[in-house]
Amino acid sequence: MRRTIGIIDYGAGNLSSVQRAFHALGHRARVTAETDVLDAADLLVLPGVGAFPHAMAELAARGLDRYVRDAAQAGRPLLGICLGMQLLVEESEEQRLTAGLGLVPGRVGALPGGGWHIGWNRLEVTGPDPLFRPSDRASVYFNHSFAVEVPAACRAAVARAGTELVAAIRRERIVGLQFHPEKSQAAGRALLARIVDALCAEPAE
Amino acid sequence: MILKRLVGVITVRRGIAVQSFGYRRFLPLGDPAVLARNLDRWGVDEILVQAIDRGLAGPDLALLDRLAAAGLSTPLIFGGGIRSAGEAIAVVNRGADRVTVDQLLHDAPAEVEAIAAALGAQAVIAALPLAVQPAGLQWRDYRTGREGTLAPEVRDLFAAGHVSEALLVDWRNEGTPGTFDEALVAAFPLPHAPLILFGGLGAPEQTARLFAEPRVAAIAVGNMFTWREHAVQALKTALPGARLRPAHHAGTGA
Repeated sequence: MRRTIGIIDYGAGNLSSVQRAFHALGHRARVTAETDVLDAADLLVLPGVGAFPHAMAELAARGLDRYVRDAAQAGRPLLGICLGMQLLVEESEEQRLTAGLGLVPGRVGALPGGGWHIGWNRLEVTGPDPLFRPSDRASVYFNHSFAVEVPAACRAAVARAGTELVAAIRRERIVGLQFHPEKSQAAGRALLARIVDALCAEPAE
Repeated sequence: MILKRLVGVITVRRGIAVQSFGYRRFLPLGDPAVLARNLDRWGVDEILVQAIDRGLAGPDLALLDRLAAAGLSTPLIFGGGIRSAGEAIAVVNRGADRVTVDQLLHDAPAEVEAIAAALGAQAVIAALPLAVQPAGLQWRDYRTGREGTLAPEVRDLFAAGHVSEALLVDWRNEGTPGTFDEALVAAFPLPHAPLILFGGLGAPEQTARLFAEPRVAAIAVGNMFTWREHAVQALKTALPGARLRPAHHAGTGA
Protein backbone atom coordinates (compact mmCIF):
# COMPACT_ATOMS: atom_id res chain seq x y z
CA MET A 1 0.00 0.00 0.00
CA ARG A 2 1.25 3.48 -0.85
CA ARG A 3 1.89 5.46 2.32
CA THR A 4 2.67 9.06 3.13
CA ILE A 5 5.97 9.58 4.91
CA GLY A 6 6.55 12.79 6.86
CA ILE A 7 10.27 13.54 7.03
CA ILE A 8 10.80 16.03 9.83
CA ASP A 9 12.87 18.98 8.65
CA TYR A 10 14.70 20.59 11.54
CA GLY A 11 17.74 21.65 9.54
CA ALA A 12 19.78 18.54 10.22
CA GLY A 13 21.50 17.07 7.23
CA ASN A 14 20.92 14.90 4.29
CA LEU A 15 17.13 14.75 3.99
CA SER A 16 16.94 14.33 0.25
CA SER A 17 18.57 10.89 0.36
CA VAL A 18 15.97 9.73 2.87
CA GLN A 19 13.18 11.20 0.79
CA ARG A 20 14.43 9.53 -2.40
CA ALA A 21 14.69 6.18 -0.63
CA PHE A 22 11.00 6.30 0.25
CA HIS A 23 10.10 7.49 -3.24
CA ALA A 24 12.00 4.51 -4.65
CA LEU A 25 9.78 2.26 -2.55
CA GLY A 26 6.68 3.83 -4.09
CA HIS A 27 5.64 5.98 -1.16
CA ARG A 28 4.89 9.68 -0.97
CA ALA A 29 7.57 11.42 1.09
CA ARG A 30 7.35 15.02 2.25
CA VAL A 31 10.17 16.94 3.90
CA THR A 32 8.62 19.54 6.13
CA ALA A 33 8.59 21.33 9.46
CA GLU A 34 4.88 22.14 9.08
CA THR A 35 2.90 20.24 11.66
CA ASP A 36 -0.29 20.21 9.60
CA VAL A 37 1.62 18.43 6.80
CA LEU A 38 3.17 16.03 9.32
CA ASP A 39 -0.30 15.38 10.74
CA ALA A 40 -1.27 13.83 7.41
CA ALA A 41 1.66 11.40 7.36
CA ASP A 42 1.29 7.70 8.04
CA LEU A 43 4.87 7.46 9.29
CA LEU A 44 7.03 10.19 10.83
CA VAL A 45 10.75 9.99 10.11
CA LEU A 46 13.31 11.77 12.24
CA PRO A 47 16.61 11.80 10.35
CA GLY A 48 19.76 13.55 11.48
CA VAL A 49 23.40 14.31 10.96
CA GLY A 50 25.58 16.24 13.37
CA ALA A 51 25.70 16.79 17.10
CA PHE A 52 22.98 15.89 19.59
CA PRO A 53 22.72 19.24 21.48
CA HIS A 54 22.44 21.25 18.27
CA ALA A 55 19.80 18.89 16.89
CA MET A 56 17.68 19.06 20.05
CA ALA A 57 17.97 22.85 20.05
CA GLU A 58 16.84 23.00 16.42
CA LEU A 59 13.88 20.71 17.12
CA ALA A 60 12.88 22.83 20.10
CA ALA A 61 13.26 26.08 18.15
CA ARG A 62 10.61 24.83 15.73
CA GLY A 63 8.38 23.34 18.42
CA LEU A 64 8.97 19.96 16.89
CA ASP A 65 10.31 18.31 20.05
CA ARG A 66 6.89 18.56 21.64
CA TYR A 67 5.19 17.57 18.39
CA VAL A 68 7.25 14.39 18.01
CA ARG A 69 6.79 13.47 21.67
CA ASP A 70 3.04 13.97 21.51
CA ALA A 71 2.75 12.06 18.23
CA ALA A 72 4.72 9.07 19.47
CA GLN A 73 2.93 9.01 22.80
CA ALA A 74 -0.36 9.02 20.90
CA GLY A 75 0.78 5.85 19.14
CA ARG A 76 1.74 7.29 15.77
CA PRO A 77 4.53 5.37 13.96
CA LEU A 78 7.96 6.99 14.24
CA LEU A 79 11.30 6.05 12.70
CA GLY A 80 14.57 7.66 13.85
CA ILE A 81 17.64 7.32 11.65
CA CYS A 82 21.23 7.71 12.90
CA LEU A 83 21.25 10.86 15.05
CA GLY A 84 17.46 10.72 14.80
CA MET A 85 17.54 7.40 16.63
CA GLN A 86 19.77 8.86 19.33
CA LEU A 87 17.32 11.73 19.85
CA LEU A 88 14.65 9.19 20.83
CA VAL A 89 16.31 8.28 24.15
CA GLU A 90 16.48 10.15 27.43
CA GLU A 91 19.83 11.93 27.28
CA SER A 92 23.19 12.21 25.58
CA GLU A 93 26.66 13.01 26.82
CA GLU A 94 27.79 14.32 23.40
CA GLN A 95 29.53 17.68 23.94
CA ARG A 96 27.48 18.24 27.13
CA LEU A 97 24.71 16.38 28.93
CA THR A 98 21.54 17.10 26.95
CA ALA A 99 18.03 15.77 27.40
CA GLY A 100 16.56 13.84 24.48
CA LEU A 101 12.97 13.17 23.56
CA GLY A 102 12.69 10.44 26.20
CA LEU A 103 10.52 8.16 24.09
CA VAL A 104 12.75 5.14 24.66
CA PRO A 105 14.63 4.50 27.92
CA GLY A 106 18.35 4.84 27.45
CA ARG A 107 21.24 7.20 26.93
CA VAL A 108 23.83 8.12 24.35
CA GLY A 109 27.54 7.86 25.03
CA ALA A 110 30.79 7.98 23.09
CA LEU A 111 31.96 4.81 21.44
CA PRO A 112 34.46 2.92 23.57
CA GLY A 113 37.93 4.31 22.97
CA GLY A 114 36.49 7.51 21.54
CA GLY A 115 36.71 6.31 17.97
CA TRP A 116 34.33 6.03 15.07
CA HIS A 117 32.22 3.31 13.56
CA ILE A 118 32.44 3.95 9.83
CA GLY A 119 31.54 1.60 7.04
CA TRP A 120 29.58 -1.57 6.44
CA ASN A 121 28.89 -3.94 9.29
CA ARG A 122 26.67 -6.96 9.77
CA LEU A 123 23.51 -6.81 11.81
CA GLU A 124 22.83 -9.39 14.47
CA VAL A 125 19.11 -9.39 15.13
CA THR A 126 18.54 -10.05 18.81
CA GLY A 127 14.94 -11.18 18.92
CA PRO A 128 12.13 -12.79 16.96
CA ASP A 129 10.61 -9.52 15.68
CA PRO A 130 9.57 -10.30 12.08
CA LEU A 131 10.28 -6.73 11.12
CA PHE A 132 14.01 -7.24 11.75
CA ARG A 133 14.48 -11.01 11.47
CA PRO A 134 15.03 -11.04 7.66
CA SER A 135 17.85 -8.49 8.13
CA ASP A 136 19.90 -10.81 10.33
CA ARG A 137 23.47 -10.94 8.94
CA ALA A 138 22.71 -8.18 6.42
CA SER A 139 25.48 -5.63 5.93
CA VAL A 140 24.43 -2.01 6.40
CA TYR A 141 26.26 1.33 6.41
CA PHE A 142 27.21 3.00 9.70
CA ASN A 143 28.78 6.43 10.18
CA HIS A 144 28.78 7.57 13.81
CA SER A 145 30.91 8.22 16.85
CA PHE A 146 28.26 8.07 19.60
CA ALA A 147 25.95 5.17 20.32
CA VAL A 148 22.84 4.46 22.36
CA GLU A 149 22.55 2.11 25.27
CA VAL A 150 19.01 0.84 25.89
CA PRO A 151 17.44 -1.93 27.98
CA ALA A 152 17.53 -5.36 26.38
CA ALA A 153 13.78 -5.27 25.79
CA CYS A 154 14.22 -2.34 23.40
CA ARG A 155 17.15 -3.79 21.47
CA ALA A 156 16.28 -5.11 18.04
CA ALA A 157 19.73 -5.58 16.52
CA VAL A 158 23.38 -5.12 17.39
CA ALA A 159 26.62 -4.87 15.45
CA ARG A 160 30.13 -5.75 16.58
CA ALA A 161 33.10 -3.44 16.21
CA GLY A 162 35.47 -4.52 18.94
CA THR A 163 32.52 -4.20 21.25
CA GLU A 164 28.79 -4.74 20.88
CA LEU A 165 26.90 -1.70 19.62
CA VAL A 166 23.15 -1.17 19.52
CA ALA A 167 22.25 -0.98 15.83
CA ALA A 168 18.45 -0.91 16.01
CA ILE A 169 15.85 -0.34 18.69
CA ARG A 170 12.13 -0.82 18.88
CA ARG A 171 9.47 0.14 21.36
CA GLU A 172 6.01 -0.60 20.05
CA ARG A 173 5.52 1.70 17.02
CA ILE A 174 8.81 3.53 17.53
CA VAL A 175 11.86 2.21 15.63
CA GLY A 176 15.39 3.58 15.62
CA LEU A 177 18.21 2.65 13.26
CA GLN A 178 21.77 3.70 14.06
CA PHE A 179 22.85 2.95 10.49
CA HIS A 180 21.70 4.57 7.27
CA PRO A 181 19.14 2.36 5.51
CA GLU A 182 18.88 4.92 2.72
CA LYS A 183 22.59 4.36 1.98
CA SER A 184 22.64 0.60 2.52
CA GLN A 185 21.62 -0.43 -0.99
CA ALA A 186 19.30 -3.45 -1.30
CA ALA A 187 19.57 -4.45 2.35
CA GLY A 188 18.51 -0.97 3.47
CA ARG A 189 15.64 -0.72 1.01
CA ALA A 190 14.27 -4.10 2.08
CA LEU A 191 14.31 -3.11 5.74
CA LEU A 192 12.73 0.28 5.06
CA ALA A 193 9.95 -1.41 3.12
CA ARG A 194 9.20 -3.73 6.03
CA ILE A 195 9.33 -0.85 8.53
CA VAL A 196 6.72 1.10 6.57
CA ASP A 197 4.49 -1.94 6.24
CA ALA A 198 4.82 -3.02 9.87
CA LEU A 199 4.57 0.36 11.58
CA CYS A 200 1.78 1.67 9.41
CA ALA A 201 -0.35 -1.42 9.88
CA GLU A 202 -3.10 -0.93 12.41
CA PRO A 203 -1.89 -1.95 15.88
CA ALA A 204 -3.32 -5.17 17.25
CA GLU A 205 -6.05 -4.65 19.82
CA MET B 1 32.97 -6.66 12.60
CA ILE B 2 33.41 -3.60 10.46
CA LEU B 3 34.15 -4.54 6.89
CA LYS B 4 36.76 -3.08 4.61
CA ARG B 5 35.52 -0.98 1.70
CA LEU B 6 36.07 -0.67 -2.00
CA VAL B 7 35.49 2.94 -2.94
CA GLY B 8 34.65 3.97 -6.49
CA VAL B 9 36.24 7.29 -7.40
CA ILE B 10 34.78 9.72 -9.92
CA THR B 11 37.17 12.50 -10.85
CA VAL B 12 35.42 15.62 -12.12
CA ARG B 13 37.00 18.48 -14.06
CA ARG B 14 34.97 21.37 -15.46
CA GLY B 15 31.81 19.53 -14.43
CA ILE B 16 32.65 16.47 -16.54
CA ALA B 17 33.84 13.09 -15.25
CA VAL B 18 37.31 12.35 -16.57
CA GLN B 19 39.76 9.52 -16.72
CA SER B 20 42.82 10.93 -15.02
CA PHE B 21 46.43 9.91 -15.42
CA GLY B 22 48.57 11.29 -12.63
CA TYR B 23 46.35 14.40 -12.55
CA ARG B 24 48.30 15.48 -15.63
CA ARG B 25 46.35 14.05 -18.55
CA PHE B 26 42.59 13.73 -18.77
CA LEU B 27 40.15 11.97 -21.04
CA PRO B 28 36.48 12.93 -20.86
CA LEU B 29 34.03 10.26 -19.69
CA GLY B 30 30.76 12.17 -19.46
CA ASP B 31 28.12 12.87 -16.84
CA PRO B 32 29.35 12.13 -13.30
CA ALA B 33 25.79 11.23 -12.25
CA VAL B 34 25.66 8.44 -14.85
CA LEU B 35 28.93 7.01 -13.56
CA ALA B 36 27.69 7.29 -9.98
CA ARG B 37 24.50 5.46 -10.90
CA ASN B 38 26.56 2.62 -12.42
CA LEU B 39 28.78 2.31 -9.34
CA ASP B 40 25.66 2.33 -7.17
CA ARG B 41 24.12 -0.49 -9.20
CA TRP B 42 27.31 -2.51 -9.17
CA GLY B 43 27.46 -2.44 -5.37
CA VAL B 44 30.59 -0.41 -4.67
CA ASP B 45 30.88 0.27 -0.93
CA GLU B 46 31.30 4.05 -1.13
CA ILE B 47 31.50 6.58 -3.93
CA LEU B 48 34.06 9.39 -3.81
CA VAL B 49 33.43 12.30 -6.14
CA GLN B 50 36.45 14.57 -6.31
CA ALA B 51 36.08 17.83 -8.21
CA ILE B 52 39.72 18.62 -8.84
CA ASP B 53 39.49 22.10 -10.33
CA ARG B 54 37.37 23.91 -7.78
CA GLY B 55 40.26 25.61 -5.97
CA LEU B 56 38.82 28.75 -4.41
CA ALA B 57 35.55 28.51 -6.30
CA GLY B 58 33.78 26.63 -3.53
CA PRO B 59 32.10 23.24 -3.86
CA ASP B 60 30.11 22.48 -7.01
CA LEU B 61 26.63 22.34 -5.49
CA ALA B 62 24.99 21.97 -8.91
CA LEU B 63 27.00 18.79 -9.40
CA LEU B 64 25.79 17.56 -6.02
CA ASP B 65 22.20 18.24 -7.04
CA ARG B 66 22.72 16.12 -10.15
CA LEU B 67 24.20 13.34 -8.04
CA ALA B 68 21.32 13.56 -5.57
CA ALA B 69 18.84 13.34 -8.41
CA ALA B 70 20.45 10.03 -9.38
CA GLY B 71 18.89 8.57 -6.22
CA LEU B 72 22.03 6.84 -5.01
CA SER B 73 21.73 4.26 -2.27
CA THR B 74 25.50 4.13 -1.76
CA PRO B 75 27.32 6.40 0.72
CA LEU B 76 28.74 9.46 -1.03
CA ILE B 77 31.99 11.22 -0.18
CA PHE B 78 32.44 14.61 -1.81
CA GLY B 79 35.56 16.71 -2.14
CA GLY B 80 36.70 19.76 -3.98
CA GLY B 81 36.61 23.44 -3.17
CA ILE B 82 35.31 23.25 0.41
CA ARG B 83 36.56 26.40 2.15
CA SER B 84 34.50 26.57 5.33
CA ALA B 85 32.29 24.69 7.74
CA GLY B 86 29.29 26.35 6.16
CA GLU B 87 30.19 24.94 2.77
CA ALA B 88 30.79 21.48 4.22
CA ILE B 89 27.34 21.59 5.83
CA ALA B 90 25.85 22.68 2.50
CA VAL B 91 27.55 19.73 0.81
CA VAL B 92 26.05 17.31 3.32
CA ASN B 93 22.64 18.95 3.09
CA ARG B 94 22.81 18.40 -0.69
CA GLY B 95 23.30 14.64 -0.33
CA ALA B 96 26.90 13.83 0.64
CA ASP B 97 27.57 11.70 3.69
CA ARG B 98 31.19 12.72 4.19
CA VAL B 99 33.60 15.33 2.86
CA THR B 100 37.27 15.36 1.96
CA VAL B 101 39.39 18.40 2.68
CA ASP B 102 42.88 19.03 1.34
CA GLN B 103 44.02 22.65 1.19
CA LEU B 104 41.77 23.55 4.10
CA LEU B 105 43.89 21.34 6.36
CA HIS B 106 46.75 23.74 5.80
CA ASP B 107 45.01 27.03 5.08
CA ALA B 108 42.40 27.00 7.85
CA PRO B 109 42.62 24.08 10.29
CA ALA B 110 40.13 25.86 12.55
CA GLU B 111 37.53 25.43 9.80
CA VAL B 112 38.24 21.71 9.74
CA GLU B 113 37.64 21.66 13.48
CA ALA B 114 34.38 23.54 12.92
CA ILE B 115 33.29 20.99 10.30
CA ALA B 116 33.93 18.20 12.78
CA ALA B 117 31.95 20.04 15.46
CA ALA B 118 28.98 20.52 13.14
CA LEU B 119 28.92 17.19 11.29
CA GLY B 120 30.94 14.90 13.53
CA ALA B 121 34.54 13.94 12.83
CA GLN B 122 33.33 10.74 11.20
CA ALA B 123 32.27 12.92 8.28
CA VAL B 124 35.73 14.45 7.79
CA ILE B 125 38.44 12.84 5.67
CA ALA B 126 41.87 14.37 5.15
CA ALA B 127 42.94 14.07 1.50
CA LEU B 128 46.72 13.97 1.31
CA PRO B 129 48.56 13.84 -2.04
CA LEU B 130 51.80 12.12 -1.08
CA ALA B 131 54.95 10.61 -2.50
CA VAL B 132 57.95 8.90 -0.98
CA GLN B 133 60.93 10.88 -2.24
CA PRO B 134 64.65 10.69 -1.36
CA ALA B 135 63.88 13.27 1.33
CA GLY B 136 61.17 11.02 2.81
CA LEU B 137 57.39 11.29 2.74
CA GLN B 138 56.37 14.47 0.96
CA TRP B 139 52.97 16.19 0.81
CA ARG B 140 52.27 17.92 -2.49
CA ASP B 141 50.60 21.31 -2.70
CA TYR B 142 48.80 20.92 -5.99
CA ARG B 143 48.40 24.69 -6.33
CA THR B 144 52.11 25.33 -6.49
CA GLY B 145 53.51 21.89 -7.26
CA ARG B 146 55.80 22.24 -4.25
CA GLU B 147 56.45 19.38 -1.86
CA GLY B 148 57.17 19.34 1.85
CA THR B 149 56.82 17.24 4.97
CA LEU B 150 53.40 16.65 6.48
CA ALA B 151 52.55 19.87 8.30
CA PRO B 152 52.21 19.93 12.10
CA GLU B 153 48.68 21.34 11.83
CA VAL B 154 47.59 18.22 9.93
CA ARG B 155 49.05 15.97 12.60
CA ASP B 156 47.31 18.08 15.26
CA LEU B 157 43.93 17.66 13.57
CA PHE B 158 44.32 13.90 13.71
CA ALA B 159 45.59 13.96 17.28
CA ALA B 160 42.62 16.07 18.39
CA GLY B 161 40.16 13.69 16.73
CA HIS B 162 38.80 16.21 14.23
CA VAL B 163 39.52 13.96 11.24
CA SER B 164 38.43 10.33 11.02
CA GLU B 165 40.38 8.88 8.10
CA ALA B 166 43.33 9.79 5.90
CA LEU B 167 42.99 9.47 2.14
CA LEU B 168 46.54 8.78 0.97
CA VAL B 169 46.71 9.77 -2.69
CA ASP B 170 49.62 8.41 -4.69
CA TRP B 171 49.39 11.28 -7.16
CA ARG B 172 52.35 10.11 -9.23
CA ASN B 173 50.84 6.71 -10.03
CA GLU B 174 47.20 7.69 -10.15
CA GLY B 175 45.57 6.22 -13.25
CA THR B 176 47.71 3.12 -13.72
CA PRO B 177 46.40 0.02 -11.89
CA GLY B 178 48.94 -2.00 -9.95
CA THR B 179 51.43 0.81 -9.46
CA PHE B 180 50.44 2.23 -6.05
CA ASP B 181 53.58 2.91 -4.05
CA GLU B 182 53.15 0.68 -1.00
CA ALA B 183 55.97 2.51 0.76
CA LEU B 184 53.45 5.30 1.41
CA VAL B 185 51.66 3.17 3.99
CA ALA B 186 54.80 2.41 5.97
CA ALA B 187 56.03 6.00 5.71
CA PHE B 188 52.77 7.63 6.84
CA PRO B 189 53.62 8.92 10.31
CA LEU B 190 50.26 8.68 12.07
CA PRO B 191 49.98 5.03 13.10
CA HIS B 192 46.46 5.20 14.48
CA ALA B 193 44.81 6.92 11.52
CA PRO B 194 42.59 4.61 9.44
CA LEU B 195 43.69 4.80 5.83
CA ILE B 196 41.92 5.03 2.50
CA LEU B 197 44.40 4.40 -0.30
CA PHE B 198 44.02 5.84 -3.79
CA GLY B 199 46.14 6.13 -6.90
CA GLY B 200 47.29 3.27 -9.07
CA LEU B 201 45.09 0.68 -7.35
CA GLY B 202 42.74 -1.97 -8.70
CA ALA B 203 45.03 -4.90 -9.50
CA PRO B 204 43.82 -7.85 -7.37
CA GLU B 205 47.21 -8.97 -6.02
CA GLN B 206 48.20 -5.54 -4.77
CA THR B 207 44.70 -4.81 -3.48
CA ALA B 208 44.70 -8.06 -1.48
CA ARG B 209 48.14 -7.31 -0.07
CA LEU B 210 47.12 -3.83 1.05
CA PHE B 211 43.82 -4.97 2.53
CA ALA B 212 45.85 -7.31 4.75
CA GLU B 213 47.30 -4.20 6.45
CA PRO B 214 45.22 -3.59 9.59
CA ARG B 215 45.38 0.21 9.11
CA VAL B 216 43.89 0.06 5.63
CA ALA B 217 40.14 0.62 5.98
CA ALA B 218 39.39 1.17 2.32
CA ILE B 219 40.88 1.06 -1.14
CA ALA B 220 39.70 3.54 -3.73
CA VAL B 221 39.72 2.82 -7.43
CA GLY B 222 39.07 5.29 -10.21
CA ASN B 223 39.57 4.56 -13.86
CA MET B 224 39.35 0.79 -13.65
CA PHE B 225 35.86 0.88 -12.13
CA THR B 226 34.56 3.25 -14.77
CA TRP B 227 36.01 1.91 -17.99
CA ARG B 228 34.91 -1.68 -17.46
CA GLU B 229 31.40 -2.81 -16.58
CA HIS B 230 31.05 -4.81 -13.36
CA ALA B 231 34.71 -4.28 -12.47
CA VAL B 232 33.59 -3.78 -8.86
CA GLN B 233 32.08 -7.24 -8.63
CA ALA B 234 35.02 -8.75 -10.51
CA LEU B 235 37.54 -7.27 -8.09
CA LYS B 236 35.52 -8.33 -5.06
CA THR B 237 35.27 -11.86 -6.44
CA ALA B 238 39.04 -11.88 -6.93
CA LEU B 239 39.59 -11.04 -3.25
CA PRO B 240 38.06 -14.01 -1.40
CA GLY B 241 40.19 -13.50 1.70
CA ALA B 242 39.47 -9.81 2.17
CA ARG B 243 36.92 -8.74 4.78
CA LEU B 244 34.57 -7.21 2.22
CA ARG B 245 30.88 -7.27 1.50
CA PRO B 246 30.32 -9.94 -1.10
CA ALA B 247 29.91 -8.88 -4.71
CA HIS B 248 26.39 -7.64 -5.36
CA HIS B 249 24.62 -8.19 -8.65
CA ALA B 250 21.57 -5.97 -8.96
CA GLY B 251 18.39 -7.76 -9.83
CA THR B 252 19.67 -11.20 -8.93
CA GLY B 253 19.13 -10.94 -5.20
CA ALA B 254 22.79 -11.95 -4.75
